[in-house]
Amino acid sequence: MGMFDSINISASALTAQKTRIDIISKNMANVNTTRSTGGMPYRRQMVVFEEQRGPSFSSYLEKHTNRFNGKGVEISEIVEDTTPFKLKYEPGHPDANEDGYVMLPNVDMVTEMVNMIDAQRAYEANITAINGTKSMLMKALEISRR
Amino acid sequence: MYANFKNNIDLFNKVLDGIWLRNKVINHNIANADTPKYKKLTVSFEDKLREALSKSDSKLVKTHEKHLPFPVNTKDIQPRIEENDKFSYRFDGNNVNIDTEMADLAKNTIMYNAVIDQLISEFDKIKNVIHEGGK
Repeated sequence: MGMFDSINISASALTAQKTRIDIISKNMANVNTTRSTGGMPYRRQMVVFEEQRGPSFSSYLEKHTNRFNGKGVEISEIVEDTTPFKLKYEPGHPDANEDGYVMLPNVDMVTEMVNMIDAQRAYEANITAINGTKSMLMKALEISRR
Repeated sequence: MYANFKNNIDLFNKVLDGIWLRNKVINHNIANADTPKYKKLTVSFEDKLREALSKSDSKLVKTHEKHLPFPVNTKDIQPRIEENDKFSYRFDGNNVNIDTEMADLAKNTIMYNAVIDQLISEFDKIKNVIHEGGK
């Protein structure tokens, strides 16, 4: 049971949420990109969160011995959204097909905004948790001050 | 007399260990507030501790060798971690409620500070006896 485990757990969540915001920014920046890898429009990306909890045997063991070795959260992978691209009628565009339609990325600005607020709130919650842990540690140091 | 102080300090020690573990578990819950299929964890030790304290005077007698040991000694009490997988109200299977977690975190921090204060006052008593006894 390490002294700074609590802070490390919250820090792992800060990293994860920050990466999520990075990916959201990337999606928003590329909302009109028609030329990405393979000459296709940009595809929206998403992060996948996964609980970090040591090897499976030790997590089974801890259930029966009441020990706790949770390590927070991590991003297990960054996946592409497979929903179809949006079509927009714009015959003058250089990337338009023979019918005059342009394929635009499957990024929805409103969804990205909502996800960003969610990530920001989660980030703030973890900052509060770190501050709480910090105040507890400082309080524990007061025992030896007398 | 000194044994009395020591008992109190041991008890506070136990409580602080439990509260610290709970802080860690709440942090873990908050960190995983967006993890699909994650179920919230809870720590409980107060009820067991209270039971042990109230029954420490009445010694239970074992009349059979297969009777389970009853933890009247506060030293034997370990905090329990439970996974709350009874319900989920979100589509991703996660059941962390960030509001209750933040409230629990605040309660837990205040409780920790209060117990530390009591522990310090316990040490102050011993110190007082040492200082004033020599006069």
